Amino acid sequence: MGRKVNVIGVGMVKFAKPGQSEDYNVMAAKAIKAALADGSVEYGDVEQAVAGYVFGDSTCGQRAVYDVGLTGIPVYNVNNNCSTGSSALMLAKQMVEGGIVECALAVGFEQRQKGALGSAWNDRPNPLELHVKMMNDAQGFTSAPPAAQMFGGAGREYRWKYGAKRETFAKVNVKARQHAAKNPYALFRDPLSVEEILASPEVFDPLTRYQCCPPTCGAAAAIVCSDDFAKKKGISNPVYIAGQTMRTDYGTSFSDSMIKMVGFDMAKNAAQAVYEESGVGPEDVDVVELHDCFTTNEILTYEALGLCGEGEAEKFIEDGDNTYGGKFVTNPSGGLLSKGHPLGATGLAQCTELVWHLRGQAEDRQVEGARVALQHNLGLGGGAVVTMNRCDGGMSGREENRNRRRPEAGAGPPSGAAPGHPWEAARRHHRELDRHRLPENHDRRGGAARRAFEGRSAAPFSEPGRLARWGDRAPGR
Amino acid sequence: MSKEVSFDGRVAIVTGAGQGLGRSHALLLASRGAKVVVNDLGGSTAGEGKSSETADLVVEEIKQAGAEAVANYDSVEDGDAIVRTAMDTWGRVDIVINNAGILRDKSFKNMTDADWDIIFRVHSYGAYKVTKAAWPIMTEQGYGRILFTTSSAGIYGNFGQTNYGSAKLSLVGFANTLSLEGQRKNVLVNTIAPFAASRLTEGLLPPAVFDSLKPEYVSPIVAYLCSEENDTTGGVYEVGGGFYSGLRWERTKGKTFRLGRNVSPDDIRSNWKQINDFTEADHISSVMESLGPIIENVEAGPTKGGNEFIDADEALGSKYPDYVSSYDEGDLALYALGVGAAKDPNDEEALRLVYESHGGGMKALPTFAVIPGTNAILGFAKEGISPPGLNYGLDRLLHGEQYIELVRPLPLRATLTTRAVVKDIWDKGKGALVVTALDSYDEDGDLLIKSEMTAFIRGAGGWGGERGPSADVNVPPSRAPDVVVEDAIPQNQALLYRLSGDWNPLHADPAMAKAFGFERPILHGLCTFGYAGRRVLEHFAPAGNPDFFKSIKVRFADNVYPGDTLVTEMWKESDQRIVFRCKVKERDSVVISNAAIELFEELPKPKEKKPTVASDAVEGDAADAAVEVTSADIIAAIDHYLKENPAVAEKAQTVFQLKLSDPDSLWTIDLKTGSAGAGETAKPDATLQLAEESYVALQKGEADPMKLFSTGKLKIAGDMMSVNKIEALSEMPFDLVLEKAAARAGGAAPAAPVAAPQSREPLAPKLFEALGKRLEEQPGLANEVGAVLQFYVRDPDSKWVVDLKHQPPALKMGETDGATTTITLDDAELAELSSGETTTQSLFQRGRLRIDGDMQPAHRLNFLKGLI
Repeated sequence: MGRKVNVIGVGMVKFAKPGQSEDYNVMAAKAIKAALADGSVEYGDVEQAVAGYVFGDSTCGQRAVYDVGLTGIPVYNVNNNCSTGSSALMLAKQMVEGGIVECALAVGFEQRQKGALGSAWNDRPNPLELHVKMMNDAQGFTSAPPAAQMFGGAGREYRWKYGAKRETFAKVNVKARQHAAKNPYALFRDPLSVEEILASPEVFDPLTRYQCCPPTCGAAAAIVCSDDFAKKKGISNPVYIAGQTMRTDYGTSFSDSMIKMVGFDMAKNAAQAVYEESGVGPEDVDVVELHDCFTTNEILTYEALGLCGEGEAEKFIEDGDNTYGGKFVTNPSGGLLSKGHPLGATGLAQCTELVWHLRGQAEDRQVEGARVALQHNLGLGGGAVVTMNRCDGGMSGREENRNRRRPEAGAGPPSGAAPGHPWEAARRHHRELDRHRLPENHDRRGGAARRAFEGRSAAPFSEPGRLARWGDRAPGR
Repeated sequence: MSKEVSFDGRVAIVTGAGQGLGRSHALLLASRGAKVVVNDLGGSTAGEGKSSETADLVVEEIKQAGAEAVANYDSVEDGDAIVRTAMDTWGRVDIVINNAGILRDKSFKNMTDADWDIIFRVHSYGAYKVTKAAWPIMTEQGYGRILFTTSSAGIYGNFGQTNYGSAKLSLVGFANTLSLEGQRKNVLVNTIAPFAASRLTEGLLPPAVFDSLKPEYVSPIVAYLCSEENDTTGGVYEVGGGFYSGLRWERTKGKTFRLGRNVSPDDIRSNWKQINDFTEADHISSVMESLGPIIENVEAGPTKGGNEFIDADEALGSKYPDYVSSYDEGDLALYALGVGAAKDPNDEEALRLVYESHGGGMKALPTFAVIPGTNAILGFAKEGISPPGLNYGLDRLLHGEQYIELVRPLPLRATLTTRAVVKDIWDKGKGALVVTALDSYDEDGDLLIKSEMTAFIRGAGGWGGERGPSADVNVPPSRAPDVVVEDAIPQNQALLYRLSGDWNPLHADPAMAKAFGFERPILHGLCTFGYAGRRVLEHFAPAGNPDFFKSIKVRFADNVYPGDTLVTEMWKESDQRIVFRCKVKERDSVVISNAAIELFEELPKPKEKKPTVASDAVEGDAADAAVEVTSADIIAAIDHYLKENPAVAEKAQTVFQLKLSDPDSLWTIDLKTGSAGAGETAKPDATLQLAEESYVALQKGEADPMKLFSTGKLKIAGDMMSVNKIEALSEMPFDLVLEKAAARAGGAAPAAPVAAPQSREPLAPKLFEALGKRLEEQPGLANEVGAVLQFYVRDPDSKWVVDLKHQPPALKMGETDGATTTITLDDAELAELSSGETTTQSLFQRGRLRIDGDMQPAHRLNFLKGLI
């Protein structure tokens, strides 16, 4: 085991539609500056930087950090499809973990062209050709966007296997929009109804247009550091990474299941490894940011992460266990569906959102008392990165975080406390009670009474004496 | 579920806890860690007297078992004092269980004001007082669990308990609202309707039953509802004797009358069954939901009116199911004979209408176009399919008017899909007019026949609706007719005409005709229509060619009997319009009025044949033998096509490199600039490698690209996903390739390789007929599936309902509201399923079969296999 790694600074810019964003280096520099300010870190403290992006020529990473500083540090460019952002985070984390640096920067950005994902290189094998071959065998090609065919096909397989209703997929985006309404960083904040979502143009059944994340541009960044470094910066209870794993495709991706082709087993195995590494299970998780590139994938991911059993996602949604008041709050940011999905930035934007929750800084959408946060970021081709973030500080530590200076550059939601969801208040109250609860092995008061009650519950009324006594006491008759 | 439901640190108030249910609740909560205020007035079941003994006994019992409790002897009417006991002792209240109650059972005749008042004071006012006192404490602390005790005597009624029943049910209303007000503060409110042996029921029950109804069977749900874990609020539960159940309101779908219409008591009477029909009921859980249908009705706007026979709101715009029918030369001939054609078998012109091998080519009598539509309507009537809102019997219906228009001459055989919709409804005072528009489409989905059938519904008007257009059209001019023709209608004419589809016994059965008030069977109005149409065309269509027919419109005015002499008077209003009128000579009565036929000025072009691939091997070979198609021809054709259709490339924006072998050649299809030609390109999006032979086959549609790809005969390099963009070329007519081939060979363009497309017989009717038979033989099939399946078959369209849920299983054409599962697929796909070539799952995964509703029954469609 290496050293504990803390996330002491996060920042992002609000995402924008292609053609409406600033250039990648401008967006990235803003995100980096926000993360530095958030962690009270000078750029000069950063010893190495990892930059993630998918579309762009080589060394865009350097171009992006050069706008923040020219300190000659190593800069690595990372390209891992939609899991690029968290891949960058993982490399930076490993540098600190392995004792190579005290402080590292991970930044992710994307400046996209309009339209669905496609390939830029046509004179060589497409990296996804194994996936495409599998899909062709299972369901053929159509003229729909390829990613929609893949995740939509997985949705079809899911429907066939477990009988999920079309409406259930739509409900994922209903929830995403409800969450997004409270996130000033989300691109799409208007509520949508199941009917509206189902009535939008069909992309690839069961996916309609409102069930596909929009092409987006944006940037996000995180500063990771050692305990010593954090202490030096005067931060005593930082958010830390309790576990992190990346998994790439297994043989099952190319056998006969669309669900597995789009990364179910990668996510499942990565999550399992993270639960073991961090020592906390899905039942301990308070808040989740997961890769909802399509509504179908959010549903698959509930099950891959073990938030519910396989085939149980429909009930999980019906029970409201994916939102405030339920077992978990999934994608409080609004997710990729509402916030947008700039490929390189997504993983770091998820990290940013979770850190805000763990510090109690998520304003209107704060998951009250969040202490354990799970992140899932998936790329086809492939890679799934699952991360467990925690903040142990208890109330005092979180209060300290809460009181920290708010970062500038538009990073961090606008302040002004609004009351949380009513259920959240209840939940907080219960947590307080939990804290004062006696240990499990304590012989609680009432134990003897319970035994007494149970012991003779068989026959209180069969005692003739009692009946007689009651009979005596019915003077009204 | 490792942790037990527990109440550690919680303070509970249980009213009426000295005995029975209350005592049992108190003991159970205490045993699980709660501190309990044991309230009991110690009075009688009738609410008389007062004693501290019972409460003390329970407190002592709890304390002896090692838990905490305190007694309170106040009446629930003094709820403040009870809550004060809890606050004074432990400083908090988490749970209030309103259990205390008394009885004053009296038949209503003997009920006194005092009996009524005391019951309300204890049950209703008492529960209010205790809850009211605890409420601010609970909302302030953000936690509370409140329980009310109602009774089946209130929910369902019980003899002698008007006071008790109404007071008890008042608590349900109380809890419903309180649960809403408490939800935000985490104060949850629930209600139980217990059935337990207690002082209140003692004496009503035999001892054995009394014993099985121990309060201990009720307390567990009370404890759960009052626990921290419970998150249900506003629930009502019936419990007792080991039975635990939820209770909710149910409301029928009801009957909605559109606004702006007088709703009479008679309307209520005639809809009474529907108002009370609970087969598909709603379960309403909020006032907003309750208002739903009202808001919908307001938004739907004012009514178009109607009465018991016709509901214009419902009926207007409603569609019949698609009706598929086929005809051939035999049907055309039978129809022509049915309307008196070819009485003289030596008349060459008339013979053309009935003889398929006529030297000049057979012609369809255009008025035959009325047959698919009328047969559709009659077919639906037979099956009992009628649009919603049309509630009259056929006995009220008279054929009022008929209009037909042909887009082009009728082919000699066709499979037509007829789509019918209720187009207009007019209130004519005494009667009503219902106009049904029927359009028939051919195998390619192209419109062939437009028609409108106007039915006069006797006695169904008078709701004050719109009267509709009233101008008399097609009025004959005052001059003498230009042509007059007399036809003696043979005595057996109706017997012949009915073989074209209108089997109404009124036209054949003398007894039936009498029953309808006619002296003998009458001639079909549409037979007269055919006679007249034929005569007008003979005299006015250029060279008597019926293909000039464009449209006909008539109004039916009176009956014709077989044997009558029909006089058709015609006025030529223009070269393209002939007004006519028919009379019966014997009675001098007008039978068809306001009638006209329109002619095309020029013969409409016969339908262009759709570009088709050489699907028929023999014909395909013949074409190939004439000029062999090569890849060069195809590329030349693509180039030509792209230049004529720049939009194709604009949309595709993809460049393909084509590397062919045997013989080797290299081509570029540039769907960016819109050109195709020989040679290499610098930046292809994808490169396709395959044999010359395969490419030509592919272009002819003889080879399946997926198959070539998966068998390795087609190799794709570059962006594999861009390959589907080549679909953009699928609209290119193959004739173009043949033209290029012919040009290369130095000849004229060869004939199109394929004659008329082989119209595949629609499979659905046969398949479902076979299914119907199988269901008769094996009704057990229904048990295996257990669902109502709605099939929507496309191309050609048809709709089928297969009920495998109820016994006996049933199958019908059309739609149902009660489908478990809806399955949409092409007729051709149905064939593949039936032959076992593919599976439901594979079709579904490929998006060729759509499933709505419950997915499970779709796993059990094996019965379709091998039906034909």
